Amino acid sequence: MNVLKGKTAIITGGSRGIGRACVLAFSKAGANVVFTYNRSKDEADALQKSAKNVVSVKTDVREYEQCRAVVNEALKKFKKLDVVVNNAGVNIDKALVMMTHDDWKTVIDTNLNGTFNMTRAAITTFMKQKGGCVINMSSVSGITGLPRQTNYSASKAGIIGFSKALAKEVAGYNVRVNTVCPGYIKTDMVDSLGEDVKKKILESVPQKRLGEPEEVADLCVFLASGKAGYITGEVIKIDGGLAI
Amino acid sequence: MPKVKDAGAMRKGIRKLISDISEIPEKELKDDAKFAEDMGVDSMKALEIVAAVEKKFKVAIPEEQIPTIRSPNDVYELIEKLLKK
Repeated sequence: MNVLKGKTAIITGGSRGIGRACVLAFSKAGANVVFTYNRSKDEADALQKSAKNVVSVKTDVREYEQCRAVVNEALKKFKKLDVVVNNAGVNIDKALVMMTHDDWKTVIDTNLNGTFNMTRAAITTFMKQKGGCVINMSSVSGITGLPRQTNYSASKAGIIGFSKALAKEVAGYNVRVNTVCPGYIKTDMVDSLGEDVKKKILESVPQKRLGEPEEVADLCVFLASGKAGYITGEVIKIDGGLAI
Repeated sequence: MPKVKDAGAMRKGIRKLISDISEIPEKELKDDAKFAEDMGVDSMKALEIVAAVEKKFKVAIPEEQIPTIRSPNDVYELIEKLLKK
């Protein structure tokens, strides 16, 4: 179903995991996609080749000017911009007692400031054209808080507050802002955990399985589509019941 | 891009747009009044003015210039500059 036919989307952190699934799902739904990557060039190149109307741009979302360049690239290449999916994120999990200032700063700069940077770069275009959609990737960790993730939880909780405030600010301009909070999803982030940790994770999820990146991507496609035209400021968990 | 033929007409056109969007009658508009402090035009309304002016004069106001627009005079000067380019 081409529910995004003719739309142009920017997806940050699109080369792997949930971002990659979003790139593929948006492309399949008919959208033009500009996705960013920072370190995974080989994966980004392969993804660009495998999907239709997909362009990759190496970007550090911590840098505002680089985000502006991505918006300009989307407008130049596809003549319009309709959707931003702020997905780029990192985690450096440690107990606070062991966490360095750099560990804190890197996670906040990438996850929270990166979301600000890309949204700030696109919002004028959305407001001027009286239409647009921002989807911010938060996490269940930002709702419930998780031990050893004070930096990650803070960044993801910050994204929820940012999204709600912005949703109220720009609703009158037909710009929608929503937040997606995945639980444990089959990505490199979860894969890197030890087997015993993974076992405990599965025990904690009422549905007793990990989520698929494609399930998160399908939710994002829905939120970006006209079918979600009356949904804004919402925080949607997709976590198999983890945070009930 | 249209050239500036008549600065007076350009200002008149901009004043009308500002008046329409801010809902302040043209005769009460002061060119040096500050949008926020004196006219009660918030940043969202100011952006609407920017978008309307861009459309009318077929110019693109650079994103970094937008926060520097604080009064009708700032709009006139910026548009004049852009049309001269």
